[in-house]
Amino acid sequence: MILGIAWKNFYRQGVRAFLNVLVTALTMVALIFMLSLLNGFQVQATRNMTTTDMAGGQYRVPGFDILTPTEWEDRTLPVPEVLHALSATDKAEVLVLQGQLFPNRRLYPVQLRGIEMDQSLLDLPLSGLKTYGSQFEDAIPVVVGNRMAQRAHLQKGSTVVLRWRDRNNVVDARNVRVVDVADFINPRVDEGVVWVRLDHLRSMTVRPSEVSWVAVSEFVGSVDGLEFNTVEILMADLLALLKQDRRNSRILWAILMFLAGTSVFNTQILNIFKRQKEIGTLMALGMEANQIVRVFVLEGSLAAFGAVILGLVLGIPFFMWFQSVGLDVSHLSASTMPVRERVFLDFQFFEIMSSVCIVVVLMIFVAWWPVKKISGLDPTMALRGRGIT
Amino acid sequence: MGGEDFTALHEINLRVEPKSFMSFVGPSGSGKTTLLNLIGGLDTPTSGDIIFCDESLGGMSPDQRASYRRENIGFVFQSYNLLPVYTVYENILFPFLLANLKESDVRDRVMSIIDQVGLIPQVSKRPSELSGGQCQRVAIARALVKEPRLVLADEPTANLDKENSYQILELMLDLNKKFDAAFVFSTHDEKVTKFVRREIGLEDGYVRWDKRRNGDGDFE
Repeated sequence: MILGIAWKNFYRQGVRAFLNVLVTALTMVALIFMLSLLNGFQVQATRNMTTTDMAGGQYRVPGFDILTPTEWEDRTLPVPEVLHALSATDKAEVLVLQGQLFPNRRLYPVQLRGIEMDQSLLDLPLSGLKTYGSQFEDAIPVVVGNRMAQRAHLQKGSTVVLRWRDRNNVVDARNVRVVDVADFINPRVDEGVVWVRLDHLRSMTVRPSEVSWVAVSEFVGSVDGLEFNTVEILMADLLALLKQDRRNSRILWAILMFLAGTSVFNTQILNIFKRQKEIGTLMALGMEANQIVRVFVLEGSLAAFGAVILGLVLGIPFFMWFQSVGLDVSHLSASTMPVRERVFLDFQFFEIMSSVCIVVVLMIFVAWWPVKKISGLDPTMALRGRGIT
Repeated sequence: MGGEDFTALHEINLRVEPKSFMSFVGPSGSGKTTLLNLIGGLDTPTSGDIIFCDESLGGMSPDQRASYRRENIGFVFQSYNLLPVYTVYENILFPFLLANLKESDVRDRVMSIIDQVGLIPQVSKRPSELSGGQCQRVAIARALVKEPRLVLADEPTANLDKENSYQILELMLDLNKKFDAAFVFSTHDEKVTKFVRREIGLEDGYVRWDKRRNGDGDFE
């Protein structure tokens, strides 16, 4: 009897019930979207750092710090055989040294980063360098990123003077030619970086077989002379940033949940408020308080269930569409966040379930609480619309 | 009102006989509706008691009062108080559902009373599709369908025009004769006075007069 009454009350409200369900469903979809977008942003940032720079960790020359350029020259060592012998898919030897470009006769300090051309561990757009041999001729071929090119006023085909210091402390200078301006998805390997073939950089600086680090797909044991830096160590600053971001996103989630809760609460309480007289009539007709509460809780449950179903119906196609187009965040390319031009959603089961459960529980609670209060009063209070004010 | 104690009724002592057709009359605020609500178990008195068939309402729990209303009372409200999402048929069926009776067992009784109140053509309509007079007929049918011992009608004609008021009153008088229920109205509508057999005048919460019709139809 109670379920029949609740069902009839629910579906016969028509547009009012549908709007209630629709608002709740959209609230859930919006919550999941926001959370998943933040997750996607963070996952993409860490993934891009990994695929373009960190790989599965780096064997570094002890004391090497990418933020201390004045010591880079002192932190190079010949690559140990055990690492050199790894396949091109499992390691990338990297040599990092200081240099100065002179575009338009102005000095522009840069990081000269030499990387093996046959490596396939890191995903870098350096095909422009591969066509050159190990010996350079009149100008040294280099690749720069979009951001670097913009800052230094370089373009494909530009020839500028590069100055550097070799192992013997001799300062050398030579023309370099920008053979490609590439689109790096990670700004940290773009801004201020001039990419050079590793063999060229070693030759220029008289550092045969030397490296600053060797990026590897995974830890291969202790290596004499080098220390292994895990991805967590290498990305400590980014992870700290993301951790803070996650903390902020939790606050944002709480605010959104509050807003969603307020919306649901408002809709439901308004619904109950408008139906006080109906509750009073049910009481006058002889319905017991617990029966009335059960009817309204069931109605709230049906609305919550409907909202979940509608949320799936609306959410799944929307999320599928979104995953096919992504969110354009190219405006963030000026920042140092290593994100692609488009961010995609990353769904976390726990977050989705907890958000949905909270909304559902809230809907049922808001259906229960005011009715419980009203049904405990004399029916005349409800009939006069004074059960809740 | 305003947080102050207000005594709505004073020293009321009256008896409602079976099959009576009577009204409480008086100006607004005289206590008519309060008295009706107390008799119907919708409100609880701060002092005194209501005895229904030797049973005290004062000693009843809220659920027992709900049961008392369900089993013995039919309500007719000024603004009809029909369940808005239900049809005429379902509104009138509702008291039976509350008594856990199957629809198939009571369908004939529901249709019979719908016929008696003249709403067969409107049986599938919802309250929003009915006129005020039709809504009040549904409310009367709902109040009577389970054949309660007492029908309490709070200003049943207040929202109706003259013609509909007379029709409703004649209908209730007719049903009073057919069923064994006593009808008690609260009203300040003079039209009602012409129909009732007993009139109790209330003023400021006190009973000022209690008149019954004599054999000639006059109040004495």
